[in-house]
Amino acid sequence: MTRKKLNPEIKWGISILSFYLIWALCGLIYNVVYKGTFSNPYTPYADMKKELLGPFTQNYFLGTDIYGRSIMELLSTGLLYSLSVGLLVTFICCLIGIILGFISVAGHPWLRKISETLTNLIFVFPTILLAIVLLSITGESFGALVLILSLTGWPSYAKISRGETQRIMGLSYVESAKAVGASKWRMFFKIVIPGIFPVLSIHLILGISGVIISEATLGFLGLGGSDFSWGALLSLSKTVLLEAPYIVIIFSLVLAGLIIGLNLLGDGLRDYMDPKS
Amino acid sequence: MRKLLNAFFTILMALILVFSLMRLSPGDPVERILGPNATEKEIQVYREQLGLDKSFPVQLSQYLIGVVKGDLGVSLFKKRSVVELLKEHFVPTAIIAFLSVFLSALIGPFLGLYSALKKSRVQDSIIRIISLALLSFPIFSLAPILVLIFSIKWGLFPVSEWGGLDHIFLPVLTLVLPLGSILLRVSRNRFLEEINEPWVQVLHAKGLKERGIHLRVAKACLPTVLTVIGIQLSIVIAGTMITETIFDIPGIGTLLLDGIQNRDYPVVQGIIIYSMLVYMIIYFFFDYLGEKIDPRLKMTYDT
Repeated sequence: MTRKKLNPEIKWGISILSFYLIWALCGLIYNVVYKGTFSNPYTPYADMKKELLGPFTQNYFLGTDIYGRSIMELLSTGLLYSLSVGLLVTFICCLIGIILGFISVAGHPWLRKISETLTNLIFVFPTILLAIVLLSITGESFGALVLILSLTGWPSYAKISRGETQRIMGLSYVESAKAVGASKWRMFFKIVIPGIFPVLSIHLILGISGVIISEATLGFLGLGGSDFSWGALLSLSKTVLLEAPYIVIIFSLVLAGLIIGLNLLGDGLRDYMDPKS
Repeated sequence: MRKLLNAFFTILMALILVFSLMRLSPGDPVERILGPNATEKEIQVYREQLGLDKSFPVQLSQYLIGVVKGDLGVSLFKKRSVVELLKEHFVPTAIIAFLSVFLSALIGPFLGLYSALKKSRVQDSIIRIISLALLSFPIFSLAPILVLIFSIKWGLFPVSEWGGLDHIFLPVLTLVLPLGSILLRVSRNRFLEEINEPWVQVLHAKGLKERGIHLRVAKACLPTVLTVIGIQLSIVIAGTMITETIFDIPGIGTLLLDGIQNRDYPVVQGIIIYSMLVYMIIYFFFDYLGEKIDPRLKMTYDT
């Protein structure tokens, strides 16, 4: 059996994502070493110059925004923020999804009913709306944002892992495992998790891009939990759309580039894993 | 029937959830209406007038009884009935929603079909790259770029006013680009999936012409595409908060955002009911349509 060739989408996706990851790493080192903080290179209004500098001027590679902050640094900090929210939320959602998916297939009948009702309820509920209502209760912070995006984001993972668990539990080797007397926990860790992971991993990558968009949307509405969320920065730079249109364009392109990378990788993986291709 | 019952149960649960969440959230609507100079007594009187002094279960049950009668309460700020407000804000949202979903449903699937028929050729690659890029731009970063191009650079359309025909163009375009791209990709992938099915090979064996086969395959893909159109319509018609904020459209989305910021409980609850009802209606309609087109779907649901 020959190994399948990686399709160009995967290659491009991985290249774009590596670029962003290296950038994030450099940004992290720069922030920690030079600025001494992780998430906030500017103490509020301390570095304000009240001046907007164009790209390639003085020491600023991409110029500064309306508060005189270097756009390059803002972008790096925003990237760190986006990535940490995206990865953390997706991981939590995936965890909840796998567990509830397993419960709704193999749990007690009444546990099944509860987990299905809960999944459907949150699934049909408009996610962003629920997030806004919840965020206005908890106030804006990194922890609250992660918690709320996780609370609203898990149902799609639960649906997928439920379907996949159902499929796997019907396979013949699972029957043999049952006959040998494997416990439910053993089945969960040794059979279900490795079995559903290929399908879930595609959804995971597309999920990260979804979370990053949600986070930026909330930031745009002023509920992002950080001034350095790309959404918040975009909404700020929109106020100088006439005077300095390049700021909006830079932020948009950088954000879209990350999403494109994730979508390419997700799509490519789906094609790659499809047995028919 | 079972589905319908489930749907109503879901709406009820969601309503109770929002009702409790809004009241749990800090920020008192009465204090916001009366301002910082109001005395304790004024606040107390006003609260009684609005019925906000009663206990939580009483408020909830009163509200639910009202909902059954078709009364969604009165906005705390605008002093008008929520039903009236919804009707008024529905018009701009509906115009934008129907127009953009209609256009994307017109363009997306056809380009998707074209792309599928030219699979792995230059045209296909170009279409796929462009559509992926377009759907990767979040609305709030796509909209400023479009404004930049069409309003500022070319001076064609006004940015943020609501009224004439030319005000509709930019918001609709903002929505059509991502919606159409999603439809394009869905229909392309679905077509390529279906064309490898055994029944298509039977048609080949029977000696049907290529064009006839493609038409039949396209028809078999229609239910999936319709489902996606339905989902898109239900999302867009529930109010596109971002688009409406950027272009200053007095639609459901802006009403909702105002309502959340002001803690205007009845408005937010009303919009939740509205958006879930719309979702259910559209879902059932497109479900029914899909079954009419492809009877195979009905069989899989029954199992």
